[in-house]
Amino acid sequence: MAMGMAVDTVGELGFPFWNPIRRRFSPDSPFFASGNVERELLAKQVALDLTEDEINHLQKFVETESRRTSCPIVGCPERLKSLDHFEDHYNARHTASCSVCSRVYPTSRLLSIHISEAHDSFFQAKVARGYDMYECLVEGCGLKFKSYKARHRHLIDKHKFPSTFEFFKKTQLSKKRREKLQRQHVPRLKHEDDKEAASSDAMEVEDKSSVDGLVSALSTLTTSDTTPSNVSFGRRHGRGLTFVPRSVHKEKRTESSSAPGPTN
Amino acid sequence: MADDGSASNRRDPIKSSVGNVAGQRRRQQAVTVAKERRELLVRAKRLCRVGTNGDVEDALVENEMMVDEEQPILEAQASKSVEELKSAVQYQGKGAMQKRVTALRELRRLLSKSEFPPVEAALRAGAIPLLVQCLSFGSPDEQLLESAWCLTNIAAGKPEETKALLPALPLLIAHLGEKSSAPVAEQCAWAIGNVAGEGEDLRNVLLSQGALPPLARMIFPDKGSTVRTAAWALSNLIKGPESKAAAQLVKIDGILDAILRHLKKTDEETATEIAWIIVYLSALSDIATSMLLKGGILQLLIDRLATSSSLQLLIPVLRSLGNFVAVDPKAVLTILIREQNTEESIIGVLAKCLRSEHRVLKKEAAWVLSNIAAGSIEHKRMIHSTEVMPLLLRILSTSPFDIRKEVAYVLGNLCVESAEGDRKPGIIQEHLVSIVSGGCLRGFIELVRSPDIEAARLGLQFIELVLRGMPNGEGPKLVEGEDGIDAMERFQFHENEELRVMANSLVDKYFGEDYGIDE
Repeated sequence: MAMGMAVDTVGELGFPFWNPIRRRFSPDSPFFASGNVERELLAKQVALDLTEDEINHLQKFVETESRRTSCPIVGCPERLKSLDHFEDHYNARHTASCSVCSRVYPTSRLLSIHISEAHDSFFQAKVARGYDMYECLVEGCGLKFKSYKARHRHLIDKHKFPSTFEFFKKTQLSKKRREKLQRQHVPRLKHEDDKEAASSDAMEVEDKSSVDGLVSALSTLTTSDTTPSNVSFGRRHGRGLTFVPRSVHKEKRTESSSAPGPTN
Repeated sequence: MADDGSASNRRDPIKSSVGNVAGQRRRQQAVTVAKERRELLVRAKRLCRVGTNGDVEDALVENEMMVDEEQPILEAQASKSVEELKSAVQYQGKGAMQKRVTALRELRRLLSKSEFPPVEAALRAGAIPLLVQCLSFGSPDEQLLESAWCLTNIAAGKPEETKALLPALPLLIAHLGEKSSAPVAEQCAWAIGNVAGEGEDLRNVLLSQGALPPLARMIFPDKGSTVRTAAWALSNLIKGPESKAAAQLVKIDGILDAILRHLKKTDEETATEIAWIIVYLSALSDIATSMLLKGGILQLLIDRLATSSSLQLLIPVLRSLGNFVAVDPKAVLTILIREQNTEESIIGVLAKCLRSEHRVLKKEAAWVLSNIAAGSIEHKRMIHSTEVMPLLLRILSTSPFDIRKEVAYVLGNLCVESAEGDRKPGIIQEHLVSIVSGGCLRGFIELVRSPDIEAARLGLQFIELVLRGMPNGEGPKLVEGEDGIDAMERFQFHENEELRVMANSLVDKYFGEDYGIDE
């Protein structure tokens, strides 16, 4: 048994008295671990397929729904089942498409950037004079650059975009546009890809600036409203585009060009 | 479903005549139904990957055996499917779109029908660049949807598989835009959610690429499965532990209003995702915390706790409440005063959680109470005068260890005034006496005996309160009566110095020679 000391050993310096304090824990604290177990299992979720039965059930359901109306926008082949579907479709197809070249974008912002960069001669003029015109594509960043390449570099360096990323160069035409082009025998452009998989219906080409190519391409165009847009591509700063007549690329194609008429 | 080639040919005409919109609806329902079944499969996958103990490894072996025969077949099919997609993408003639969608759909099926989809085989065959191409702007919705679906399931697997989505991220993010059709945006949000769920590095990439604003805007509508998916993805994106994502989220106009609105009104599944967002906001962003408090979030959380019986919802709601309480006691006091002792009161819902059979709810409810009890004397009085007291005392003697520890915090906090400066914190004798007479001393002495340092420390501190604060010098006898001296003496040669000193000093002071127990 310890000797009873005369001095109070339990003093201000000694015993840590109970002191009520609020305890706060960060989200990844082990304190919350048991409550997090279920949540961790849902950190990733697989989207499952339906069983055969479910598919059949849905098919029957879908077939019995026969009332459908055409989209009222001229030239649009879509057929819609209800007002909700129409609104959805309209939002997706008819409000963020470029009126010049019919490309469709998922946001108004991207559309407006596209229009400036692809169809605005004022934009090109300012670029030529050395203004910072190419906006960063990431919302909220606000930076602008003198060239497409500089912006591309910024996206990769600052925003961790993959180096294979291409938003505005490789895009696919809407069905409507492609039909139109095919009818007019406009030569298709092909994208010379460096590292990526086989080319798709890419509209623009990595150019070895050839004025001849441009001229010959222009000569095959009909005087449609699509002509001006094609020309403006050619003036893009530092990377003029060339229309190469379809015949030149024929042997590279897996499939020969289709006959005119709407594809479906 | 090894080869439904003939079947699908028979079906193809039906599909194309029905058109894109019907396809959309089908996808929408597929997505909805799929989510209801996801838990089982994902759970199996995660358990098998974690594999830390014998049980889990057995499960792994079992699954591998079941899958052994099927796996090579699936892998071969996946490679073939990617090849077909490749040629479909190259093809530019008539019916190109349909070809692409068909190829995508086949790949998607392979990736979403089994517990172990052939992701690796698909990746090796070069699926990603093709899927990225299929996401290009202006593509038909069905194509976008199928491609995003494939990417979703690729990202739901192993870490390296999720990382493989890097080249696709900018496009996935772009398709969250307001002009995208709802099913497409939702599927892209889902894929992004999986990527964000992988880890902090990928979260940082997503944030750098600007994923947060469009994703956040997807929760503005009042209802829909898109809101739920986007909220889930958002919760993954801001979970931290770094706070910058949470800080960025707060700045989005209207987001806090949307969160409050959903917390109040929406269905339980969506509310669950929203509640997790609130958990992270309240833990990581002081601005969010104060703005949400001003917006009346405490009452909304209390209402949900009172009305729901879904564990999935209760956990994040309770935790959010705890986070707010830990930060702002004044707000809590207002609520406490307003509604005393009704079922909808804060104490009432915490009592409901203490009564629950789920240990997480019990433990975290006790934690919340301990923080309230650490507040002003009014806070303590309010707790002390309610039905939680017998609950707490019962839990202290019966529940698992970690819950008991939390309850110990509550009880101790109730007995002590919050310290001013350096002075010894004053004991609230009334509370101490009633709690001790409720029979808590044994429970505290049990904690002293536990191997957990924090618990032992709590126990010793409470014993000190009893020794010092019980009237008429009853303390020492009471402690002795519950074998407290014995428990403390075990620390005589304990390796932990602080505990040793604490125990010894108590024994010295209160059970010294004067005490009359000479051995």
